[in-house]
Amino acid sequence: MRRVFLFVLIPVAVACAMPEASVTAQTQVAAQTPVAAAPAPQSVPAGKVILPNKAGSIKFAVIGDTGTGDKHQLAVAKQLAATRSQFPFEFVIMVGDNIYGGNSSKDFENKFSTPYKPLLDGGIKFYAALGNHDDPSERFYKPFNMNGERYYSFKPADGVRFYALDSTYMDDKQLKWFEDQLKMSGSEWKIAFFHHPPYSSGETHGSDETLRTQLEPLFVKYGINVVLTGHEHFYERIKPQKGIAYFITGSSAKLREGNIKPADFEAAGFDTGYTFMVVEIIGDDMYYQAMTDSGKTVDSGSVHRVGKVEPTPNRTAQPIVPTTGNGKKLPPAGDRK
Amino acid sequence: MKVIRSIGALALLCATAVAPALAQQAAPKPPKPQISETTKQKAAEENANPDALVLADFQKRVDAYLAIHKEAAKDAPALKETNDPAQIKHAQESLGAKIRAARANAKQGDIMTPEIRNKFRRLMYPVVQGPSAQGTSGSAKAVKADVKDELKENSEERKEEGGKPVVLKVNATYPPDTPLPSTPPQVLMNLPKLPEQLEYRIVGKNLIIRDIDANIIVDFVPNAIQ
Repeated sequence: MRRVFLFVLIPVAVACAMPEASVTAQTQVAAQTPVAAAPAPQSVPAGKVILPNKAGSIKFAVIGDTGTGDKHQLAVAKQLAATRSQFPFEFVIMVGDNIYGGNSSKDFENKFSTPYKPLLDGGIKFYAALGNHDDPSERFYKPFNMNGERYYSFKPADGVRFYALDSTYMDDKQLKWFEDQLKMSGSEWKIAFFHHPPYSSGETHGSDETLRTQLEPLFVKYGINVVLTGHEHFYERIKPQKGIAYFITGSSAKLREGNIKPADFEAAGFDTGYTFMVVEIIGDDMYYQAMTDSGKTVDSGSVHRVGKVEPTPNRTAQPIVPTTGNGKKLPPAGDRK
Repeated sequence: MKVIRSIGALALLCATAVAPALAQQAAPKPPKPQISETTKQKAAEENANPDALVLADFQKRVDAYLAIHKEAAKDAPALKETNDPAQIKHAQESLGAKIRAARANAKQGDIMTPEIRNKFRRLMYPVVQGPSAQGTSGSAKAVKADVKDELKENSEERKEEGGKPVVLKVNATYPPDTPLPSTPPQVLMNLPKLPEQLEYRIVGKNLIIRDIDANIIVDFVPNAIQ
């Protein structure tokens, strides 16, 4: 009789003692059920760029969470330079955490000018956004092309405008600046880049929902097409949210292995190696390819936008054709080696 | 008899286990207003809201600091775009040194007086702890949860990625190798605006006012989040 009671009592007592844990466990089970079969990853020879590489197109690279100065940053930087020999990108977007731990001359040398020397020598411009590990005084470092501002915009070529935001301090002043800039914008591609991701499957950080609350209405209203972020130390492509394509490239020097947890909004993810992206814009199409430090392609595809986008009040989504891609959606964490 | 005893034990076990969890979930009470007699008297004389006088006093103290900052900046090397990081660091340190010299006797509470600290705790309470949070969109509950998550994440990131601990001391340098915790937008919306030279950052449960270019802690509110 006592044994029977113990059988009944122990599970009940455990459930009483951990009300939250039992709910979480149910949620995790539901979330780990794959929504669809993972597409087969494309087989691309190492180091090969499969973007159209068309003359006159807008070509750039994206790196994030770079400033360690360690062998991983150097390996990614080396592959980035090698990639440029076949895909001549003209500038590099840095999505924050550009210089970790200190801001001495040695730090800038070891964590920026030495790793990217071949690119800098080749006249490649870098455009940085501030991350939470960056001293805001980095905005005065000329090679970061921030014009002394924590947030800024630039137009590297006709047809595209970039907006660098400081997501560590999204105050009214910055939001007003951003909205004013967007109001003045034309029909070009509008790409925002900053550090904290509004959507992320990361177990460590996850989506920055407060930031999303602030920014997403502006993205939608004024026609931001693409958002590039970092902070999470992995690569991830998010399914278009309200017509906006989101990418995370936060593993260009740091890596959190196995940190992507299953999420419905994840389109592709890679959390077992160091990555960067190369991107090409041709007319209303943006082609992307995410590669590792050994040149392996982990995701690629394109985003198509529907021509001219004017600011529209009460818009709920952008007229963008959903991102196509052939990267691998990660299996549930428990099934990964 | 044994059955009754077992049920009793179960009830006791459940009560013991759930009580701390419930206590943890219950929101702390909002801070009670603490207005000094001087402010109360002035408010009565001017037929003014005492809270408005507290915020006006804060503004006055910030302006006084700003005057010191601007004066120091006149004599310090200009922070301007350069290829040489040493010049940036030198300009930053020079500005910090001049500000420290100009307010050598500055102490905690010079700007954040007890009644201003209390007012700030009351302003922050709704978005970080209170039962009804204020946000730009989304449910109040969701916004409050987001802010809490963000603050928790900041704290975890600091532990995970190291860096020196932030010493809460007026005129102290914010450690350059320590991550700058992002300040939730909802918190910024609820606090008085600062001039562009200054910013709010939440370090643990404390709110600091940081001089951005001098990288120094101007003043702070300990236990801004209770």
